[in-house]
Amino acid sequence: MKPMTKDNAVDIEKELNLSNGNVSKGVNSVKLSQDEVKIAARDVRVKYGEKEALFGINLDMPKGKVTSFIGPSGCGKSTFLRCLNRMNDTIDGCSVTGQIMVDDVDILSKQVDTVLLRAKIGMVFQKPNPFPKSIYDNVAYGPRLHGLATDKNALDEIVEISLEKVGLLKEVKDRLLEPGTGLSGGQQQRLCIARAIAVDPEILLMDEPCSALDPIATAKIEELIDELRGSYTIVIVTHSMQQAARVSQQTAFFHLGNLVEYGETEQIFTSPVDERTKGYITGRFG
Amino acid sequence: MTELKESMQKAHARLKKRRAAEKRFKMFGVGALAFAFLCVLMLFTSIISNGYTGFKQSYIQLDFVMDETIIDPDGSRDPAKMRFSNYNALVKTALKTKFPDVTNRRDKRKLYGLISSSAGFDLRDMVLDDPSIIGTTQSVWVMASDEVDMLIKGVFDRTQPESTRPISNTEIAWVETLEKEERVESRFNTNFFTSGDSREPEQAGIQGALVGSALTMLVTLALSFPLGVMAAIYLEEFAPKNKFTYLVEVNINNLAAVPSIVFGLLGLAIFLNLFGMPRSAPVAGGMVLALMTLPTIIIAARAALKSIPPSIMEAAIGVGASKMQAVFHHQLPLALPGILTGTIIGMAQALGETAPLLMIGMVAFIADVPSTPFDPATVLPVQVYLWADSPERAFVEKTSAAIMVLLGFLITMNALAVLLRKKLERRW
Repeated sequence: MKPMTKDNAVDIEKELNLSNGNVSKGVNSVKLSQDEVKIAARDVRVKYGEKEALFGINLDMPKGKVTSFIGPSGCGKSTFLRCLNRMNDTIDGCSVTGQIMVDDVDILSKQVDTVLLRAKIGMVFQKPNPFPKSIYDNVAYGPRLHGLATDKNALDEIVEISLEKVGLLKEVKDRLLEPGTGLSGGQQQRLCIARAIAVDPEILLMDEPCSALDPIATAKIEELIDELRGSYTIVIVTHSMQQAARVSQQTAFFHLGNLVEYGETEQIFTSPVDERTKGYITGRFG
Repeated sequence: MTELKESMQKAHARLKKRRAAEKRFKMFGVGALAFAFLCVLMLFTSIISNGYTGFKQSYIQLDFVMDETIIDPDGSRDPAKMRFSNYNALVKTALKTKFPDVTNRRDKRKLYGLISSSAGFDLRDMVLDDPSIIGTTQSVWVMASDEVDMLIKGVFDRTQPESTRPISNTEIAWVETLEKEERVESRFNTNFFTSGDSREPEQAGIQGALVGSALTMLVTLALSFPLGVMAAIYLEEFAPKNKFTYLVEVNINNLAAVPSIVFGLLGLAIFLNLFGMPRSAPVAGGMVLALMTLPTIIIAARAALKSIPPSIMEAAIGVGASKMQAVFHHQLPLALPGILTGTIIGMAQALGETAPLLMIGMVAFIADVPSTPFDPATVLPVQVYLWADSPERAFVEKTSAAIMVLLGFLITMNALAVLLRKKLERRW
């Protein structure tokens, strides 16, 4: 295998026919029964103004498992993730077409209320973004918003359970009223996860949740993702292939707005079918 | 080798030039600062040296005979009747007994002019407060007239020839007699803060203008703050980005640069003539100033909203907040310090504004202190303008004193803005 250099990167892309945006539909080796599927995307296309970002994605994500999206920067994996809870609605000039079925409901249809949808499909962002409020208020914000707690005690319980689930309760028990921004980066990200699961979502979307964290904090988050699997369907975007290999059961490889290959994680990393996947995971481009 | 050396020499020469240029630039900066500082210093020295005497007032002590035949001729002690008695006669009698030599009609008028015309009212208030003093002789400190006040403060030079002096030799002789008997005193001028405008300088005060300013600012704040913040939130977060909103945006920025007198004309045409709002009233003035302040607040609020990291909005929307909830729960509270700073600066600007208020009649002479925003009133800068225009010498110090009060308010407001920003600023 040729070592990756700046000069031959272009050659490899040409060789692999990567520059052409309209390549054939990707390889899909994940076979799921009807009951196992939680999210089913059909021909999802995204345009930012005139520029096309996604060229028809078909993808089934299984219930209670972790699906990871990998691919080079600008490949559309984050864009696709943001389609799953309609976050792209907030971007001017962004249009999404196609169909995303979550439990037999097309979440892209105009009838779906985004507020309720986002309560059902929580999201964790790249950079930890706790509100500049107390730890308690950070977690309690969602439940308060949706009226999930009838009284103060119920709210306290939700906050406690959520913090417990992300393993933060022990660390912050005595300072629930201190600002969430005073925590360390890893703690902040776990606080954000606690905030997301406090509204009891079915799906958790994570957009590179560890890219701003050090290895120890990353390990904790990965551990947490593993624990949360089962109770939640998790979709994670990551730049780290090792992370994808560690935490996910399914991996989808995106490239230039296309889904190139989707398969069981082990299979993707050991015997990828598509040449481009092979090229990416072996570090020849990306 | 020689070539290299040559180029090094050139670089060396250039280095010298570069350093000299840097030094020059620094010196320009220091020079500009020093000049600005000097100007401010001169302004303040001039205002303070002219104005500090405005906070003082000369008083003259006289013995007044509370003659029952004048105050209460029928002996009923009825306040309603006693209110209209001729107290000035008591003042005249007191002066005549003090200086019995004055017989000439013209000199008598001069003599009565030593004392402010407010002395009669002071005596009336004393009698109404305590009717038992009728029939006694009271030694009372009353205000000196503005010319005597100027003489005592040393503004009028006693050594000048009589013809070039606004006060005659006889008057000076009377004042000197009083001074010798220690019947002249300079006191802190509380009257300046407790009364409205007056044609007599010694009786003129800024309370009317202060209350007028406060009422006007209240109306301005109540209108421009909510409107400005709402407009900023809508434009920044909700409005579609198209040509029309772009046009609105450009126009708001332009409005901030429109001469303030134009807003005054607009107020005259629309608020007074079309809506028939009261002339000279703080409510109309406040509305005009609100128009003027709106662009400032909108621009400041938009900048403050823009400076909040979008991740906060995303986080709120991500847990299912609607856009409005995300803005009002998170973005607005975080942007508030910036918005408040902009608002205070806008308000300070409005507080010092004169031109638009002239258009809607707030320049009228109003002696009463307004009690509602619908009463005719004037404001501090307009009061300064009015007094600066008055011919009496004593109004010069009043003008400077009023400027000092106005500047005091402006500095306090700006300090408040800085303090608020320091205190509420949050890091994330």
